[in-house]
Amino acid sequence: MLAGGFAYALAAILRLVPGLVLALFAASLSTAQTPDDVDVKPVPLLTGSTGFISDFTGGQPDLHPIITPLVLVPIGQRWLFETRATFETDMVQVPGRSGFHGGPVQKEVEYAQLDFIANPYMTVTVGRFLTPFGIFNERLYPVWIRNLQSDPLILPIGVGPSNASTGAMVRGGFRANSQINLNYAAYFSALSTVSPVDSARFAGGRAGIFVTKARFEIGGSFQHLLQQERSNLYGFHMIWQPPALPFDVRAEYAHSKSGSGYWVEPAYKLSQLPFLQNELRRTQIVARYQQFFTGELPSDILLPVATREFEFGLNYYFVDGLKASGNYGRQFSVDGNTNIWTMALTYRFVFPLGHAGIQ
Amino acid sequence: MKRRHVQLMCSLGLMAFFVGSAIAQDHNTAEKASGTSAASTAMAASPRPVHDGASPASDAKAKTDERIARLEGEKRFRTNCGRCHQAPHKFPPRVMATAIRHMRVRAMITDEDMRLILQYMTQ
Repeated sequence: MLAGGFAYALAAILRLVPGLVLALFAASLSTAQTPDDVDVKPVPLLTGSTGFISDFTGGQPDLHPIITPLVLVPIGQRWLFETRATFETDMVQVPGRSGFHGGPVQKEVEYAQLDFIANPYMTVTVGRFLTPFGIFNERLYPVWIRNLQSDPLILPIGVGPSNASTGAMVRGGFRANSQINLNYAAYFSALSTVSPVDSARFAGGRAGIFVTKARFEIGGSFQHLLQQERSNLYGFHMIWQPPALPFDVRAEYAHSKSGSGYWVEPAYKLSQLPFLQNELRRTQIVARYQQFFTGELPSDILLPVATREFEFGLNYYFVDGLKASGNYGRQFSVDGNTNIWTMALTYRFVFPLGHAGIQ
Repeated sequence: MKRRHVQLMCSLGLMAFFVGSAIAQDHNTAEKASGTSAASTAMAASPRPVHDGASPASDAKAKTDERIARLEGEKRFRTNCGRCHQAPHKFPPRVMATAIRHMRVRAMITDEDMRLILQYMTQ
């Protein structure tokens, strides 16, 4: 059955090949070229993040070490191969036994994609890629980036199984005028039932408008499921980072037949306070409020009941890429209210796999 | 159970290694920054060198253009990179060239922004 699913996914990707070749050919003929002709030769990189996250949900402690290496291999001036994997385990206390006990280390290739920078306006991606639905999955997911370590309740909406798609995508960003940048992504994903690289069959897109002077981005996502109930999913996202303040706010809304909801997350760095400036400029306070509503269809990956959650946290940035976090949250639902405490230490590493050049 | 303890100790050891390397990296960066700062202060204080074949006016214009490009690059860097994550330190040029290509795809930054940010981050 798995082999059948894989063959089906492979066949679906192969069906895309003629169109993809045509798109690449057309793109390469574009007059607006020279996407990357700067005189610095890129070097392959091993980068990524690692974290030690401990949370206490309803009084149950859970230790969660995670390492997420990302390999970037630039090829020539227009190509980039990138792949990210995750190695993680959950360690919990077992009644009657001392210490923490966990299952096997879970290993997953989150994405493995080949990017072709066709021209300044378009990049073509093939392989397994993070589904560009909303902003959290694609841009905010790594532990060193996210302000709060817990996932938003609506994260599974629109991203497919394993948060990724298998297929092809075109995407890009360009300047519309001196104040506005536009960005877009359009993709098709084939069905794959091979775990852990499973994906659903769907097509969709995302578009965003970024007002550079105000540092305000707003956008929307759409997806049409090409299997099962063949339903439509949609969502909206927003990021605002006022230039005059060390403050940012992010928000997302997502809707599907299995459920819908939103989250709003403001964060403020205390660098403007006139005392303890060395410490406070590294300190950030974060809050997130989110709500989830159940839909008309049951779901294995979304919560079974309507839920509200409020979280408040503190991040401390020791040095570039190293962050300590602590946050408290409370979840309200008809299944009972729960306290959630989280402590985390995360780090983003960068190792060049070759001569890095002079700094 | 012993295996679990080994896993836990390995994780903690790994984190300790990363913390140590991060602190060392930060010290290096701080030292380089203070060195660069001292050098630029010394350059500003010293008499301007005379370049062969370049008039003072064109030299001054080139310097001004460079400064404007640098300021614009820093602005684009803050505007684009800060949308999702804390602005990183500068990396070596070839590392930065790869990172900016990755972010061009991931964050869909524009071609012009990519060039200015790369120029700023590799100066």
